[in-house]
Amino acid sequence: MVYFKRALALAALAAAMVALLLVVSWIVMPKDNTTEAGMEHAAANGILGEPANTIDLCVIGDSEAYRSVSPLLLWKQTGGTSYVCATSAQKLTYSKIMLERAFEKQKPKVVLLETLAIYRTITPGDVFLNELSSYFPVFRYHNRWKTLRAQDFTGPAQATATDQYKGHHPTLNVDPCQPGQYMVPTEKAAPIPRLNRMYVQWLKNLCDQHGARLMLMSMPSPVNWNYSKHNGIKDLANQLGCDYVDLNLKTEELGIDWNQDTYDQGDHLNHYGAIKVTNYLAKLFGDMGVLTDHRGQAGYEGWDEALAAYAKDFLR
Amino acid sequence: MLSLSSYFSAAYLGLFLPAALALYWVMPQRGRRAVLLGMSFLFFWAVSGKLLLYLLFSILSMHHMGLWLTDLQRSAAQALEAAPKEERRALRTAARRRQRQVLAFAVLLQLGVLVGLKYSPFFAVNINSFFQLLHLSWQVEVPKLLLPMGISFYTMQAMSYLFDVHRQKIQADRNLLRLALYMSFFPQIMEGPICRYDQTAPQIWSAPPIRRRNFALGLQRCLFGLMKKIIVADRLNLFIQTVFTQYENYDGFVIALAAVGYTIQLYMDFSGTMDLAVGTGQILGFQLPENFRQPFFSKSISEFWQRWHITLGAWFKDYIFYPVSMSGPLKKLTGRARKRLGNHFGPLVAGTIALFLVWVCNGLWHGAAWSYLFFGMYHFACILLANLTGPYTKALKRKLHISPTNKPYLVFQIVRTGILVCIGELFFRANGLRAGLEMFEKMIREFSLNSLADRTIFTMGMDKMDWLMVAAMLVVVFLVSLVRERGKPAGPRFWQTYILPHYGLCCLMLLAVILFGAYGYGYVPLDPIYAGF
Amino acid sequence: MEQLLEILREIQPNVDYDHCDTLIDGHFLDSLDILALVAEVEEVFDIIIPTVEIVPENFNSAARLWDLIQRLREDG
Repeated sequence: MVYFKRALALAALAAAMVALLLVVSWIVMPKDNTTEAGMEHAAANGILGEPANTIDLCVIGDSEAYRSVSPLLLWKQTGGTSYVCATSAQKLTYSKIMLERAFEKQKPKVVLLETLAIYRTITPGDVFLNELSSYFPVFRYHNRWKTLRAQDFTGPAQATATDQYKGHHPTLNVDPCQPGQYMVPTEKAAPIPRLNRMYVQWLKNLCDQHGARLMLMSMPSPVNWNYSKHNGIKDLANQLGCDYVDLNLKTEELGIDWNQDTYDQGDHLNHYGAIKVTNYLAKLFGDMGVLTDHRGQAGYEGWDEALAAYAKDFLR
Repeated sequence: MLSLSSYFSAAYLGLFLPAALALYWVMPQRGRRAVLLGMSFLFFWAVSGKLLLYLLFSILSMHHMGLWLTDLQRSAAQALEAAPKEERRALRTAARRRQRQVLAFAVLLQLGVLVGLKYSPFFAVNINSFFQLLHLSWQVEVPKLLLPMGISFYTMQAMSYLFDVHRQKIQADRNLLRLALYMSFFPQIMEGPICRYDQTAPQIWSAPPIRRRNFALGLQRCLFGLMKKIIVADRLNLFIQTVFTQYENYDGFVIALAAVGYTIQLYMDFSGTMDLAVGTGQILGFQLPENFRQPFFSKSISEFWQRWHITLGAWFKDYIFYPVSMSGPLKKLTGRARKRLGNHFGPLVAGTIALFLVWVCNGLWHGAAWSYLFFGMYHFACILLANLTGPYTKALKRKLHISPTNKPYLVFQIVRTGILVCIGELFFRANGLRAGLEMFEKMIREFSLNSLADRTIFTMGMDKMDWLMVAAMLVVVFLVSLVRERGKPAGPRFWQTYILPHYGLCCLMLLAVILFGAYGYGYVPLDPIYAGF
Repeated sequence: MEQLLEILREIQPNVDYDHCDTLIDGHFLDSLDILALVAEVEEVFDIIIPTVEIVPENFNSAARLWDLIQRLREDG
């Protein structure tokens, strides 16, 4: 009887603690997907503010992804809709979150994963905190105690904002490099940590569940890429049974000119490089028939407005 | 593959520790021992990998040498009994010499590994600059060595064991596994407390079952440590790193604040880690030695060192200060000096020589760098100065009718000690001795409150809310310390009888850590400071 | 015993040696006092106090110290 009572008391306390964590989680959760409301990586999370079922292509990954792919240009070329859910130095743990958020309201046909993130080390601690914060968002948003406002207590939680460039970060700066032949063929394959492999598998499963096709793609970057990484990803893609395109092997086909297409000496592409990559994507997905031409359809007027603003600044 | 490099990593707190506790809980006594030993070695291996061999070497050598010492002692005692009276003296001297040789060899084995791994890069660098000074083209290769986890701590434990066996305070242990557990016990191996064999080893080996009350109180202690470390120490890190790496850009007030901030950070980090270690011990039913006793209530530097990192100070006192100051020649010196200089200054000569050695060792223990040596010498100088002026300040106090319980005077002493400590820590943290001196000079010369007036202070890594949070936590820690310092009973009656309220408090503390902790997006956790020593 | 109390009073007056049993733990004697005390006691009682005996338990009260002295005299 004593044991029963004790167990009951502890269980009640544990339940109270869980309830308390849930309440606090709800309070600190951003009530909108804007930076002001406390949302992290507001540009990437702008996908939460897109109308339901309007995005056909979703790009996840790190800065290589958001510097290289321009959804508005893709819209201009093909009328297909895409969104770049990429964040700087993204770890696969966050890729998973971005993908889960994307699938909340969207049904993309293709998910493009930029491959540099696959080589970024994730620790069991990252995974632990990540999984915990999917149940108790307070672990992710705890720092918001500093900026709490009245509506954080009253709600509701919504997502009203989207990004002006649909997650793309264009820049016109140029800082050239002479990489020479950086993709020197080799038999070696850079090893991918087991935890990272598991995560990519999870991403693949998630895509399968939502009827999306996962593709791996390496954006041109002499600083970050080489042939042994290429081999590592190629092996992984074979195991997963998904497509892999390494644009580092296609820089001539794309017409990348390292004298003008990078803004930081070959680490990332700039706007001019992004145009070339996006043109390639337009052709690739056009051939594959994944992108539907939504131009002129009702509900897509926002894309034309965004394109007009983007064109004014970048496509003169 | 587990990232356990800190006791505050999610992998340790979320996976390793709960797993170890759960395993310990379900096992019978012999199994509990095995769990402790197995988890300890697993932990060491997870952090240091192959360097585990160094720990094994230390354990095996202390086990063997301890037994050797005891054998020598036993055979010497037998020989003495059998020998005729007139030969006993010679026999005893010979036996003592032999025992001392063995002890020296045993200590050398322990110390050799530590010195070889930890100090050889320092020696190589300094030999090279010495050669350069002489315009010689010789260069010694500077070795790049990885330190096994906790080597500075477990080596001290091994040496105290050997000394105690030699002094016949304890019997050498035949049980290799018990020694192995004493040396590798996972909650304290990385940052101490530095345990003594006679107090700790039998306790851990007994592996008592987990008791409800111990569990609640230990958990409470662990969570308090977590609060200190994750809410305060990690938060201050942003500010301290900013100032110490680019001190040229900041004026005297900011540097002074960084010195105070670093002292607070060091306390919160180290005493928080100790709370976690001792708290874990308490959950398991052990009493590990305390490393802190409200150090910032100290009235002098020498008292401070009896309250801060207690186990290290006690080690130096027992195995360096007294043996040196009580050694034959120094004892004679004390005897003679007392007759000439009186009871205060007489023993001061021998005491100062021993104290000097203690502080050289203390400085070097923290690391092989001139700034650490300077840190040791600074505290040596502070204590020496207090010893030299002691009789005069006493006389002065008597003249001014200040009693030792005079409140304002006590506060003055406490604040003075705090300031001296902060200055010491400034040199301790600075990137090298030169940077320390420059920072100190800037602190005095360029003191202005501009950064406070134009609010730029809130742009140096910590915003206004961060500062407020640190201040609030300082108040909490101060109140807890005050209660402990006064030695008041532990709260009202229901608090002492029932366990559930303690779990309630645990929940609140956990919530505070989760909500106010400086972790995750935008924060870089502070590397455990003392694990680096 | 009287002799011992005299030595103690000479080294650190203002302490009630008859009743105080926390000479070390209560910080009435510091390490320098111990050095002086050991030197004086060794000379007066003609004994040698080994380092292993220099622990708070042996120095916390005059009575304890007296016990130690007696013990060492017998051994000697």
